Amino acid sequence: MMMAKRDRDFRWWHETVLGVLLIGLLIVAGSLMPGFLRIEGQLLLSRQLWEFAILSLGMTLIIISGGIDISVGSTMGLCAVMFGQCHFASGSLAASSFACLVTGAACGAFNGLLIAQFRVHPLIVTLATFAAFRGIAEGLSQGRSWSKFGDRFSEIARGTFLGVPLPGYVFVVLAIGCAVFLSKTPSGRFLYAIGHNERASRFSGIAVEKVKFCLYTFSGMIAGLTTLIYVSRFDTAKADAGKGFELDVITAVVLGGTSIYGGRGNIVGTTLGLLLIHETRLFVSRYWKIDELRSIVIGLVLIGAVLTCQLVAGRARR
Amino acid sequence: MISHSMKRAFRSVGSSVQQREFMLFLLIALTCLVVGCFDSNFLTGHVWREILVRCAPTAIVACGMMLVIVTGEIDISVGSLMALLAAMFGRIVSQNEASASCWIGIPVTLGVGTFIGLTTGGLVAWGRVPSIIVTLGLLTALRGVTTLVMGGQNIDALPERLTALAKQGLLGVPLSVWTAAAVIGLTAILIRQTSLGRRLYALGSSPESARMAGLHERRLKLFVFAYTGFLTALATIVDVPRLPKIEAGIGSDFELLVVTCVVVGGVSIAGGRGTLSGVLLAVILLTMIRPVLTFLDIGEAGEKWTKAIQGLFILLAVVFDTAVVRSSIRERAA
Repeated sequence: MMMAKRDRDFRWWHETVLGVLLIGLLIVAGSLMPGFLRIEGQLLLSRQLWEFAILSLGMTLIIISGGIDISVGSTMGLCAVMFGQCHFASGSLAASSFACLVTGAACGAFNGLLIAQFRVHPLIVTLATFAAFRGIAEGLSQGRSWSKFGDRFSEIARGTFLGVPLPGYVFVVLAIGCAVFLSKTPSGRFLYAIGHNERASRFSGIAVEKVKFCLYTFSGMIAGLTTLIYVSRFDTAKADAGKGFELDVITAVVLGGTSIYGGRGNIVGTTLGLLLIHETRLFVSRYWKIDELRSIVIGLVLIGAVLTCQLVAGRARR
Repeated sequence: MISHSMKRAFRSVGSSVQQREFMLFLLIALTCLVVGCFDSNFLTGHVWREILVRCAPTAIVACGMMLVIVTGEIDISVGSLMALLAAMFGRIVSQNEASASCWIGIPVTLGVGTFIGLTTGGLVAWGRVPSIIVTLGLLTALRGVTTLVMGGQNIDALPERLTALAKQGLLGVPLSVWTAAAVIGLTAILIRQTSLGRRLYALGSSPESARMAGLHERRLKLFVFAYTGFLTALATIVDVPRLPKIEAGIGSDFELLVVTCVVVGGVSIAGGRGTLSGVLLAVILLTMIRPVLTFLDIGEAGEKWTKAIQGLFILLAVVFDTAVVRSSIRERAA
């Protein structure tokens, strides 16, 4: 009886399941491939993780509020083109980085305006801007690409501090910021309220429009920031930057236990989801050496993890 | 005075059920008019035959997707499913392989498509996993399976009779257009004439009351996903032989195109509302942009803007429409 009550009150089912899966995976991987768990190797292979990780923070906030942003990848494309053109015109890295961030914020604000002011469904708005932003990027760049931004700029993605790549620190700072924002500030709690019941939030005096507008603008800015890291990593700015990122990022967030209907989720879960996907990818591609298996395993892990949580949580509820 | 009658006109348009269709029809007509003035060859049968051929696969899958969205679910795996089915179909009927005939390839493809649809539906209905998550997982997984099936090689040399049938078709109309017409007819009858269709709308508009009224929620969901899987297989079979070769990247972004067509066509993403004619008009509008730009012969620089124009049209159709609806609601309230 006591046990049943505690089961019902336990709120961290999803994180526990993910944690167990992750530890299990690491144990299996470590015993099958002795070198797999070495810190140096893991850090070296973490480079592509950080871009997804940073993007997924903004996405977590949006999905908690009951929205979705399909356009983040396309926003990155447009930001990259603006960065390249600005650098080509002015030669100044500071000015072009600024242009990149401003473009991201403007794209996000455009989404936010349509979603908050005109009250069009976020999925519809961002599906439209998914096409529009990428299209504008392709039209502006006309197939050109820009490169050679200098060694100092490459340091943003390639440099390390105490062995950890610099984008890792960006992620940690932002993640802590987002976690504190979500749990400790009124605006953060508003996001859960809006995601849980938008109408009730509006009636209880939350400025839903304002919160949503700021939220999508923030997501756009995050996309701009990620573009800087992406461009720095490849030392190339092209219209196809961030293509397909949106689906991977959404995968990580929902795997991390954020409810796709809004109102539930946290940064810890998203981080665990990201790590699970990342380690699965590394393990599968290094153990079997067949790249195609990676996406099959990721897809099945996503469905399997959510299914397990549904079954476990369902039983606990009963 | 004028503005008053304008407002009244808008209001009557806004309050009619066909409002989104009207908007889409207007956009299509305007585009035709502008391009037609530019070059009257645009309005010939030859051009429209090409546009309809391009519309066909999207229209076929959109019929299923519409029902999925009407029940309040979504399926974003159709592009990957199409790639997998195309690879399998190509592998079976291609002349390079130890040749089995089309009579094996077609049923197998239809069977696999329906089976994957049933699996999706089962996970959604009985596993209670949100459909966007199931299909997001399948989107990734099926793409991987496709690459394995293709084995790093493109598939070409499909039987000539098949490609001829796909290109020339019956009575001068390509096979895919015939199929699309049949599927549209079937779906229209399903929606309007059968109780099954009405139940799907009931389920989407209020799941709670549908459940209380004794509808089999799970069976209905199983049906819409299986139907979509089947239609995706059908679209693959009639459209793929038209292509010179089958590549691993086939069908990428197809899921987003189909979902976009359905929501631009006025189907509510929350379920329970939407018409087939709206969806079909949206399919035509979004498909005709590329041929129109090619026709205008604006050169390579202009071609690069295709996607931007497509996005603009979607925004126009959806945002303007929403603005009109809201102002008409305000008018009525006033």
